[in-house]
Amino acid sequence: MSVRDLKGRRRWLALAGCLVWLAFTLFPLYWVGITSFKSPVGVVGGPTYIPFVDFEPSLTAWRELLSGARGQFYSTFMASTIIGLSASVAATLIGAMAAYSLVRFQFQVRLLSGLIFVFVAVGGFLLLRDILGMGQALALIYSFIAALGLSVISAWAPLPGPILKNKDIVFWFVSQRMFPPIVAAFALFLMYSEMGKLGFKLVDTYIGLTLAYIAFSLPIVIWLMRDFFEALPVEVEEAAMVDNVPTWRIFFGIVLPMSKPGLIATFMITLAFIWNEFLFALFLTNSRWQTLPILVAGQNSQRGDEWWAISAAALVAIIPMVIMAGLLSRLMRSGLLLGAIK
Amino acid sequence: MMRQDPAKHYFIWPALLVVLVVTIFPLVYSLTTSFMSLRLVPPLPSRFIGFDNYTSLLANPRFWHVAGTTSLIAFTAVALQYVIGFAVALALNSRVPGEGVFRVGFLIPMLVAPVAVALIARQVLNPTMGPLNEFMTLLGFPNLPFLTQTAWALGAIIAVEVWQWTPFVILMLLAGLQTLPNDVYEAAELENATPWQQFWGITFPMLLPISVAVVFIRLIESYKIIDTVFVMTGGGPGISTETLTLFAYQEGFKKFNLGYTSALSFLLLIFITIIGLVYLAILRPYLEKHK
Repeated sequence: MSVRDLKGRRRWLALAGCLVWLAFTLFPLYWVGITSFKSPVGVVGGPTYIPFVDFEPSLTAWRELLSGARGQFYSTFMASTIIGLSASVAATLIGAMAAYSLVRFQFQVRLLSGLIFVFVAVGGFLLLRDILGMGQALALIYSFIAALGLSVISAWAPLPGPILKNKDIVFWFVSQRMFPPIVAAFALFLMYSEMGKLGFKLVDTYIGLTLAYIAFSLPIVIWLMRDFFEALPVEVEEAAMVDNVPTWRIFFGIVLPMSKPGLIATFMITLAFIWNEFLFALFLTNSRWQTLPILVAGQNSQRGDEWWAISAAALVAIIPMVIMAGLLSRLMRSGLLLGAIK
Repeated sequence: MMRQDPAKHYFIWPALLVVLVVTIFPLVYSLTTSFMSLRLVPPLPSRFIGFDNYTSLLANPRFWHVAGTTSLIAFTAVALQYVIGFAVALALNSRVPGEGVFRVGFLIPMLVAPVAVALIARQVLNPTMGPLNEFMTLLGFPNLPFLTQTAWALGAIIAVEVWQWTPFVILMLLAGLQTLPNDVYEAAELENATPWQQFWGITFPMLLPISVAVVFIRLIESYKIIDTVFVMTGGGPGISTETLTLFAYQEGFKKFNLGYTSALSFLLLIFITIIGLVYLAILRPYLEKHK
């Protein structure tokens, strides 16, 4: 027992406080759970609390939900699962690669190259669209390629100005998380629509939404994975390097297997974020690839007071993540996430 | 160890490209659009209008009202999350009985979809079918209009935010508490410092860096709130609970006023950046003092 443990009366006060908070935390979940087993009569007649005691549980809501009588639940669930899993796997992999290179290699980017990118992109876009009268999407694509090309070439030229190091690049990645998603979601919707006019359908497609989710998960993946990689011992990698093992094999064969707990935790956090995400799905999908949060939010206006059906729908969105919470807390107890907050 | 290897480019470019294409690309587009007059319904030819979108937004009382509402929700909710989260983390760290159960239970809300939380809140707060009003009636209160009267609706949204995001504060602070060395507390114990003194003298200052980071993240995230409000009140009654993101959504998706919406979303970005910078500037001296 350590000195920091509470003793005597304080201990019981703390326990009481925790119990109150636990009740506050769990009551809404309990409520939605029992409501999904209520019959329509059981809901409208006023609140009831304990199954078999003050209401007779019924499976109406679940039967309707699973039989598909209430909209396309099955396909929405599948869309959510496919997009969630593939986007979080891709984000974790791409982000882990970037994080690894930022931990182990020295990068130097001139600030000027970054500025060139921004100016050529904005200027080129305006020039092509407003002066040369090109279409929105084409103007964007050309100016983007030109900006990227020029800034990469300028990286070799001996330009003056401050040099950005790894720390700054990590900061740039992480700062993407600060952007209010509405800025990007709305513009992304317009951009996707423009691309649609060119023949690449991106609104309400698998690619469109998955790509957006990968990009928006990358900051957090890079942030978390960087801490895990920094905590790894370098000796193993150094030994492999002496044997002339190529970098990509060091990464996939040694580093990734060693950081499996970190990868799993990052994957889970990313999956939870994507699974629950609302704004991008709202803007970028409309029927085929709609995800669960949109369907659940829609229940509200479509169903009015049919709380039994709404509860069952909400539970479908909640349960997979609650199972994950159990797994995550098990990982947490092994001290896994400690490094992630430093 | 830092090493040089051309292979590093293959490692970083996929991430760099995806972020550039999906986030910077639209940013350029919406930045240029924010200086244009561009409407889809009715379709008008776009033209350059300089800062007109920005000035008309800044002159719009609705914008300031919405910004005020968002700030009120964000600051109140984050303050409550921090105080409650700190208390719970302290209790868990000193091993209250049943700590293991609490840990799992406390984590759950964070992983529940905000739209689902909002739907549950609507049920619980329902005036005739919800349990909370029955409970309040039992205590002698009249039937309370939780979602249809401004003050109550704001309170309900804040309560939902606290319910959902206090776990995040608990998680981070608990991890921080576990890294604190025991010997400092042993020394304090020898000096007969009271638990109150130990908290303000040791625990709080040593956790200040993590606290600053946690509050910062929560504050920035809270300013983006839309899903909870969207489902719970839809911004109503009237526009009294409308938040900045919801306002932008209404302007953009309901009125298709593209230039205006782009300007609005950039103002939100500037707003968040200023709040973040002011917050860090205020706290920097304290952080450095405790280093």
